[in-house]
Amino acid sequence: MEWLSKLAMRLRALRRGDAVHREIAEEWQFHIDLRTLENIRRGMTPETARRTAEQHFGNRGYIKDLSWEERGGGLAETVWQDLKFGIRQLWKSSGFTVVAVLSLALGIGANTAIFSYIDAWMIKPLPYPQPDRLVRFETQDKKHGWTSSGVTSAADFFDFQRQNSSFEQTVAWSSANFNLTGDDPPELVEGGRVTWNYFDTLGAKPILGRTFTAEDDHSGAPHLVILSQGLWQGRYAGDLKIIGRNIAIGREAYTVVGVMPGTFQFPLMGVANLWVPLAATDKQRAERSGIWLAAFGRLKPSVSLEQARAETTTFLTRLEREFPQTNTNLTWLVTSMTDEIRREEGAPEVMMCFVIVGLVLLIACANVANLMLARATGRKKEFAVRGALGATGRRLARQLLTESLLLFLLGAAAGLFFGLWGMRWIALQIPGHIRAYIVNYGHVDLNFTTLAFTLVIALLCGLVFGLAPALGSSRLDLNLTLKEASSQTSGSSHSGRLRRIFVAAETALAVVVLISATLLVKSFIISVRSGPGFNPSNVLTAQLALPRTKYTQDAQVRNFSEEALARIHSLPGVASVGVASHVPFGGFGQGIEFEVVGRPLQPGERQGAPFTAVSQDYFSTMQIGLVKGRLFDPTEAYASSPSVIVSQTMARQLWPDEDPIGKKLRLSEQRTIGTIVGVVSDVKTYHLREPHGWHIYVPMAQFPSRTLAYAVRTTGDSTTMAAAIRDAIWSVDRDQPVSSAPMETLIATVDAGNRVVTKLMVFFGALALFLGVIGIYGVMAHLVSQRTHEIGIRTALGASPPQVLRMFIGQGMKLALIGIAVGVVSALGATRALATMLYQVTPSDPLTFITVPILFAMVAAAACGVPARRAMKVDPLIALRYE
Amino acid sequence: MTGKQKPELPQGTLDMLILKALSLGPMHGYGVGQRIGQLAEEMLKVEEGTLYPALYRIERRGWIVSEWGVSENNRRARFYKLTREGRKQLNLEEANWSQLSIAIGKVLRTA
Repeated sequence: MEWLSKLAMRLRALRRGDAVHREIAEEWQFHIDLRTLENIRRGMTPETARRTAEQHFGNRGYIKDLSWEERGGGLAETVWQDLKFGIRQLWKSSGFTVVAVLSLALGIGANTAIFSYIDAWMIKPLPYPQPDRLVRFETQDKKHGWTSSGVTSAADFFDFQRQNSSFEQTVAWSSANFNLTGDDPPELVEGGRVTWNYFDTLGAKPILGRTFTAEDDHSGAPHLVILSQGLWQGRYAGDLKIIGRNIAIGREAYTVVGVMPGTFQFPLMGVANLWVPLAATDKQRAERSGIWLAAFGRLKPSVSLEQARAETTTFLTRLEREFPQTNTNLTWLVTSMTDEIRREEGAPEVMMCFVIVGLVLLIACANVANLMLARATGRKKEFAVRGALGATGRRLARQLLTESLLLFLLGAAAGLFFGLWGMRWIALQIPGHIRAYIVNYGHVDLNFTTLAFTLVIALLCGLVFGLAPALGSSRLDLNLTLKEASSQTSGSSHSGRLRRIFVAAETALAVVVLISATLLVKSFIISVRSGPGFNPSNVLTAQLALPRTKYTQDAQVRNFSEEALARIHSLPGVASVGVASHVPFGGFGQGIEFEVVGRPLQPGERQGAPFTAVSQDYFSTMQIGLVKGRLFDPTEAYASSPSVIVSQTMARQLWPDEDPIGKKLRLSEQRTIGTIVGVVSDVKTYHLREPHGWHIYVPMAQFPSRTLAYAVRTTGDSTTMAAAIRDAIWSVDRDQPVSSAPMETLIATVDAGNRVVTKLMVFFGALALFLGVIGIYGVMAHLVSQRTHEIGIRTALGASPPQVLRMFIGQGMKLALIGIAVGVVSALGATRALATMLYQVTPSDPLTFITVPILFAMVAAAACGVPARRAMKVDPLIALRYE
Repeated sequence: MTGKQKPELPQGTLDMLILKALSLGPMHGYGVGQRIGQLAEEMLKVEEGTLYPALYRIERRGWIVSEWGVSENNRRARFYKLTREGRKQLNLEEANWSQLSIAIGKVLRTA
């Protein structure tokens, strides 16, 4: 009936804890008094007698803890005792605590920071009501496999909107840029043309005014506009009477009907500060070809995604039959919007960072477990004494686990600071316009989920990694331990083996992280070094879009572009200037469908390439090299058939064995036939990592463009020229907003994501290396101090110091090399997952797979060297006495 | 009943000494310490107080019982007495006495 008496005692301790404590105190006082008397009888003075009695009684606090538990101290109390004792222990070995907490804090902090993004991106629902009901439509060519992020045509969309029975609402939208004119300087604002139900379907409520209604959304309806909070507060100074006010867009007046809150975002559209009704014309509504509308819908509550897909497919199959010229092979993909957004560009990078920080945390954990094991070995004698005094193995294990949890929680607390700092740092690295694409961006913070995540990983790691030392000590063989403690020769105990496994595993993980990080950093360096195909330094860009309403005639457009070009050219400090319909990295682009004359396409087959109209000096200003033939010359404007210049890759792929010069292209949209006069080197247009592609250039003299991008090469620092260039353009037309930026800034902006990832990789790689090396150093240092006695004997027996050094470095390096070997093999498998994120670096890049292990081995050798040198200096006389 | 200690476990060393000491008759903590001192010389010289957690644990196991009484010098003292179960446990462990005493010897040499 032991449990009964136990229960009775527990209850008594719980209800009458004071009484139990008083009894214990009285009993001990009796003991000490009696001992004092005894001592006096032996001839001590009363003071000495009492002091000696107290001393002999021992550490009262410690004994009291044990006693209190035996006398039924409640579980809460024992946990508290463990905690108190743990804190005391951690405090006593502050060096250990600092190292452990710091490495945990770095590991946990990195995880917290990255997780906050995972949370916003992958876990939090989209910021709309019932986001799982939202789906997105895309076009897919069943035969050729390409997909496009729009719907086949406006006519198809509106037919579907009328006829479908699966959707509550279907919404179409198109990104657009708006010239805000009026009294203030003109401003180019990104926004969208949207069907009237756009905001209502997303469940977005305005902070002022209203959203659009069906009456607003037809051609001929009054011009209405909804502003973003940012635009309203910026350009319109937060005017509370903004609703009903007319603002000028281009040359037309639009009435403001609403202001959307700053928290409203739609990652698929990206940056949007202004919305107008789509107001499709009857002609647009009837057009069966041309993908220009993007679309999404909200499913009816009872309809599943599969049902909606089935209906959409049936609908598109019917269109294929009815309109074979435009719809052959084309269908719509219906996908969950949540999935689409989570698959957006950057998502794999974020997940990869998460995996990497997970590995870094594992390394930190293994490190701390190792330190704890080392300490547990050092505390074996303490445990042995406690064991002899009757502390059960379970009790000791619990104590160790408590210490481990305490350590991890301290690490988590410090990690939160690191994490918060990391989040801020990452936020600073992300340019504003990219933020618009990160769903829930405004909610990346230390919220409940993130805190819970941090707490859970700390507790979990504390338990798992605290278990090893705890189990080790609960299995303590008292006899053996006491023997071991007296003779310090053992290097092969259970915990020693565990520690070596931990170190090897830690090294392997660190090698995997370091190799992955190196591959990613190398990709980044290569992509930056490879350059965009032109020389971006000292090039300033100034972009604008002439409104169709004011510039109705091609001649007007041509006059404007040439006049502005001339005025910029005459500015002091301008070396050369060119103008194009758009510049690389300028954000917008245009494509054209074409056919090689003499190689007719199959029905339904399409062939296209990015298309740029350029002025004569564009190539020389951008320093895009001529590969073959000639550049455009001043005679182009009068030529009967336009000249065409193509990119090197296009020329090589279309005419692998022929001279491309003189070949003719039918440019479908213009229905004109152009003759290839030159081939220029390849240029990247959207990001640095795109493969070289096709590109068609035509003379702007024959293809006037309303979108104009001036590229200005300056003789000195280009940034100071921005205002002068803008004024030169405004001297031609005061109403046109100009967005200007150095070319290098444009490139850096599109590359910002990779830049952040690369910086993180440098940090995580260094952290992994550092933690891995600390692990090796820790084990070696401990080994040396444990074996001082043995070293002494060896030296006394004639081993030379270099022999001792070699022995220890050899032992440490054996561990390191095993770890490195395992790491390299694992990395060979693991880095395959990185393939899509690498640029011109194979996942098994030989140079990386050779240098990283060598570097690691060298650093590991240095880490072994320090304690090994200490071993070499061991004085046999001292060592033999050292017990 | 989970209290059957395996006698070869050194953890029970002190427990057994206490049982042995109490097998000579009821005694208070100080006295138990004195008696152990005679049985295993100087065993508790370092920290006499550590005797008490052991006493409490053995009591919890039901091998001894305690009650307040009056000591030889007329003070209130807590007396411990061996139970029948305690005696059984002692007999069980005494079979391993010699082996354990070796272990104790080691404790004394290293503590």
